[in-house]
Amino acid sequence: MIIQHKRLSALMITLSMTLLLSACGGNTASDNTPAADTAAEGGTVKIKVYAQHFDDDTKGPFDYAVEELKKEMPEVEIELDPAVQDGYQKLKTYAATGNMPDIYFTDWATLQTFAKSKNVELLDDYETTAEYKKNLNPGVESRLVAPDGHVYAYPDTGIEFQLIYYNKTIFDKVGIATPIKTIDELAAAAVKLNAAGYVPMSIFAKEKWISAAFYNGLVTREESQGFGALGEQGMTELPQPFVTAAEQLEQLQQAKLFDANATNTNYDQASSQFYQGKSAMFVNGQWEIYSAAEKLGDQVDWMYWPAKDEATYEASKYYIDGAGAPQGYAVSPASANKETAVKVAAFLAAKSAEYKYTQLGSPIISPKTDKPIASDVPVMMQRVANELLPNAKEYAKLLSNTQIQNAINDNAQNMLVDGFTTDKFTENLNRTLEKENK
Amino acid sequence: MNKYLGNKPALALFLLPALLLYSVILIYPVLQTVLRSFYDWDGLSTATFTGLANYRELFSDPLLSTSLKNGLLFAIVLAVFQIGLGTILALVCANPQIRGRKLLKTAYFIPVVLSVTVVCQLWIAMYDPTNGLVNKLFELLHIPYRQNWLSSPTQSIIAIAFVNAWQFMGYQFSLLYAGVKAVPEDYFEAATIDGCGKWRAHFHVTLPLMRETFKFCFTIAITSGIGAFVQMLIMTNGGPGTTNYTLTFMIYRYAFMESNYGYACAVSVLLVMISLVATLVINKVFDRGQNA
Repeated sequence: MIIQHKRLSALMITLSMTLLLSACGGNTASDNTPAADTAAEGGTVKIKVYAQHFDDDTKGPFDYAVEELKKEMPEVEIELDPAVQDGYQKLKTYAATGNMPDIYFTDWATLQTFAKSKNVELLDDYETTAEYKKNLNPGVESRLVAPDGHVYAYPDTGIEFQLIYYNKTIFDKVGIATPIKTIDELAAAAVKLNAAGYVPMSIFAKEKWISAAFYNGLVTREESQGFGALGEQGMTELPQPFVTAAEQLEQLQQAKLFDANATNTNYDQASSQFYQGKSAMFVNGQWEIYSAAEKLGDQVDWMYWPAKDEATYEASKYYIDGAGAPQGYAVSPASANKETAVKVAAFLAAKSAEYKYTQLGSPIISPKTDKPIASDVPVMMQRVANELLPNAKEYAKLLSNTQIQNAINDNAQNMLVDGFTTDKFTENLNRTLEKENK
Repeated sequence: MNKYLGNKPALALFLLPALLLYSVILIYPVLQTVLRSFYDWDGLSTATFTGLANYRELFSDPLLSTSLKNGLLFAIVLAVFQIGLGTILALVCANPQIRGRKLLKTAYFIPVVLSVTVVCQLWIAMYDPTNGLVNKLFELLHIPYRQNWLSSPTQSIIAIAFVNAWQFMGYQFSLLYAGVKAVPEDYFEAATIDGCGKWRAHFHVTLPLMRETFKFCFTIAITSGIGAFVQMLIMTNGGPGTTNYTLTFMIYRYAFMESNYGYACAVSVLLVMISLVATLVINKVFDRGQNA
């Protein structure tokens, strides 16, 4: 009996140890050895693509690109794995479990993690990359080539940026002259609009990035690099343009530019406030132009970010509040058809961009296209194409440090709450800069 | 029967599947978390052993004090509201002279079965500073106390904790009601015959006999408070800034927003340790009273 008992105990201990030791095992995702390209002669090559495919804006470009691909590479069969809006957690789970799709669409933050864990194919030396680079629109190189000099993904869109939209009818009614050029003018407009019963500016600051983007807009008036300037080693104190911008944000908050509940307002609430004519201004990326034009027609237009005075405004209005972070269609090194996947990724990106340009009229694309715009382009987008992009002096620079970016996001959102001062903002940012850049 | 129960190898054999399942589902992840807390790990790359570095960094992280303070406040609101009010309601509903007791019992439990998302959305609307019911109520009563409930760095955590307390009060109520009903009525009757009023009899007889129920309810309330997350995420997304962060929110941020899984594991270990200490303290406090 004693011997049996010991045997059983030994068995249980062995099982427990197996479990425990397996816990210490390394990640297997990066151990996948890529197989040779299996484009069988006369057969089909199946390529699994993880891409956004949930509404007209995402389905249209992708479906068009796939249709074009059938003509160009009939041997390739695309299997779509629709992406979910989860901050790329599903994709990271694929990577952690060694189930990466051949091609996936992702952002710079995820690409950085994947680069470390070898879940993204380096595209530097591919001929396709050289061709893609040659065909880029001017000024969007930072979308393709990462700050570390490598190419990880083929981008379709160009550098996206933020704009301030305003309702011309409300401005006329309340008697606000446009364009608003200075912070004082914007604060005065906020007072007038509040008195007339309007919310001056809708902002969906429950998402922290938008309050940070608004703040970045103010920063770019005097520091064209925007947040990118904070990533430099040795910068342990918030530079003056950032402090000035924080003071301006505090001034605008005190003038009640934003709704009292701004930090708890989501996109649906903020945009409907603007489209229903309850608020006079709205802040979002240039991609909002289509919705704005559809819902408000010629009542709506966009304006440049105001500055401390008119001279600064004139000098800086073509500094763009949007940084070119690498993103786009990347390829998994574990793909069984890697060579084909690289070509397909570049093709999907280029054709997706083509659709955005020709069908949606968006000039914000990475690769050039020689096809004409086929659809009616909203007037506001025409302004972007004819007035803003050709005159753009500089785009803000990318800030890759997540900790600094998160600290900016937290504190910029805090600035929309009464009682949070510039001093507190500066103190918090200095603490993070000291830790990250020293 | 004793023959079978005395056969230890057979017992072990029958227990093995359950033990394995328990190990895989509970012990293994906990051990993994503890192990990973000593590593610099982004969740995908090869982890680098860094010893206690994550813990050292954690104790100088300004988010920690915010999270601990919020967890404590959340726990206090849950304990006071759920157990305080739950006990009063349980005592009232246990009184056979109260009419409509069944209806009341059902009504108290209804919020528990609602989805957290629905309840949070409901309260977001009620807390709206301009058109929300809560501020309108103050206005109606001519009380000058309009607040920006969810944007206030000081009040929002209490406001959010109240939502959780309100929703799950029915759960605590059901436990407390079962506890009240478990006390033999003879004791209560004897006390009233001896001249005690009803509430005094409850205070001196019913409540002390519900020690075990209270121990369980306090453990649930305090650990729920320390680990609160969903309400913050839905109602304010942890903001404004980081004012509504709790330890669980820290884990979410570091693991999923910053891909710093090693550090998030260290926060998880701290969360488990605090919950264990809180449970031990609650047990100690209630056991001490019992032995006195």
